[in-house]
Amino acid sequence: MKARIDRTVLLAVLALLIVAPWLLQSMELEFWLDILAEVLIWSLFAASVNILFGYAGLLSFGQALFFGMGMFGVAIGIAKLGLGFWPALGLGMAVAVGTAAVAGALAVRLTWHYFAIITVVFSLIFYFIALSAKPLTGGDDGTSFSMPAMLEVGDFELSLTDQTVQYFFILSVVGAAYFLKFLIVKSPYGMALMAVRENDTRASLIGLNVYFLRWTAFVIAGGFAGLAGCLFALFGRYASATYMFYHVSGEGVVWTIIGGAGTLFGPVVGTALLIVVREELSNMWEHYPILVGLVVILTVIFAPKGLMGFWNALLDRLTQPPADRAAGGEPHEPREEAAAVQVRGKDRP
Amino acid sequence: MELVVALAMNGLVWGLIIALIALGLSIIFGLLDIINLAHGDFFMVGTVLTWFVLEATGNYWLAFLIVPLLGFLLGALVERSVIQPIRGMAALSIVATFGLSIIIQEVVRAGYGAAPKRILPPIEGTIPLFGIEYDYYRLFAAAVSVVAIFVFFAFLHRTKLGTWMRAVRFDRDTALAMGVPARTIYMVTFALGFSMAALGGAVAAPITTVDFQTGVDVLPFCFMAVIIGGLGNLPGTVAAAVLLAVTEGVVTSFTDPTVARIVSLCLMSAVLIARPHGLFTGATR
Repeated sequence: MKARIDRTVLLAVLALLIVAPWLLQSMELEFWLDILAEVLIWSLFAASVNILFGYAGLLSFGQALFFGMGMFGVAIGIAKLGLGFWPALGLGMAVAVGTAAVAGALAVRLTWHYFAIITVVFSLIFYFIALSAKPLTGGDDGTSFSMPAMLEVGDFELSLTDQTVQYFFILSVVGAAYFLKFLIVKSPYGMALMAVRENDTRASLIGLNVYFLRWTAFVIAGGFAGLAGCLFALFGRYASATYMFYHVSGEGVVWTIIGGAGTLFGPVVGTALLIVVREELSNMWEHYPILVGLVVILTVIFAPKGLMGFWNALLDRLTQPPADRAAGGEPHEPREEAAAVQVRGKDRP
Repeated sequence: MELVVALAMNGLVWGLIIALIALGLSIIFGLLDIINLAHGDFFMVGTVLTWFVLEATGNYWLAFLIVPLLGFLLGALVERSVIQPIRGMAALSIVATFGLSIIIQEVVRAGYGAAPKRILPPIEGTIPLFGIEYDYYRLFAAAVSVVAIFVFFAFLHRTKLGTWMRAVRFDRDTALAMGVPARTIYMVTFALGFSMAALGGAVAAPITTVDFQTGVDVLPFCFMAVIIGGLGNLPGTVAAAVLLAVTEGVVTSFTDPTVARIVSLCLMSAVLIARPHGLFTGATR
């Protein structure tokens, strides 16, 4: 019953996303199509945080580093090296994943607080390098570029300069990435990751290679963040060092936890909520961030497992007879709770 | 050579101020399990309150008294409203204090304005020191920080409240059973942390600029001091803050500040990887 409701909601949202360009056009709200695209990109970024924190139990405050690497890979590839659309995208991904492989090899030797701090330190190092390497990155001002065509066959040209093409390009990339995340999470590898999250000592005692699992999760998460960065560079025709600052990483963490860490679509929900709130309120009141902060705090206090956790609990209440609940028949409880609780007090000296 | 001495001295002074702020961060983290992303903003609130006190009274010395007091009250308020419902859940505390940080910055931007301002130090003049002419006020700032740090340690080890704080940290349940009012202790600890950051702000206001965004720069520095000093190791935190700031000051005298920042961050990651439990392991908790 519950699975059916979830599937129905998912299909409905997907259908809405596909017809969105025409729907918004008929409502004369074309402006919202770009916001929708932005929500999709940032939810991919939040998914990167979620893979590490929600599934591998590593809280990273440095995902902005890989986001920025993807951005600069694309921007420098197009503006400085004169690459086409796809090679630039490939360069962005290669740079992001390469950085993640090297940084991860060092970072996953540490856990919890130490891991969080070293990811901040790494991202700050590259943030300052990007700031000072002005000839290459443009420093504070950033690098802008003009969009090369995605596909050229004779007279026919497909390019992201068309708003609808751009939207569908972003939607399909983000959709594919989320499908990949689904496959990863459901695979034996994903299960192994969750075992490491729950108890790394036990995981290593049953023969799992904890270091290798964490490292691969770090690289995969770096790839997701890098892909988000590539898309964002293409979306804005621009790359800037400011997107590498740790504050950007922090926003990813907040979106993920508000949406529900350790759930597949939590990051999308959290990102969508906060970006839509921002867009709606910023027109009404200059000091709208006060309200954003309030939304964040109230969500944490009243829905500590995130909005997806809240949704799951609500569905369980509605679909299960009370007797089942009393008998401990809440299949979704333990997993979500673990994400929220296991970070407590672990590894304290 | 003179430049090296001057920048190393600046680093020492700044390190002592950071130590004061980082101690607040450390007790909040150690006792309440709260990873406080708003701590840099507590410092910023201190600098802004100092500016307001100066505007209202024209007396800088009053700020050293009023600002920590206001910080304490604000801290108590924040603990009761935001921190208490999520105490002990580190992951949620990150999100809640991130929200808090947004609110504080925006309230300050609304009330104080977005333009950075400068405050003149209450004591002017320089003094010859190690062959250079050094600002009086910076020495004074260092002295205030040192005194505050000593008072804090004395409070922690010589008073009933301080002993209670250490007791709750050591073993909450036993402390409760012995009649220690844990809830009050939590509130006092958080308020004290805010108050120390605010005092740091009052001390540092003439040295830095008064701006609603200064907290963002101070925060990573404080966290690094806490981690490198060893989690829960309070003297280690002080030593690490001073060490970090002096290193950065000395390196700045050879290259530009951004490169110096990169060098000190690289050193820090080396320390983290080689000695993940802090430079001073083996010291008391």
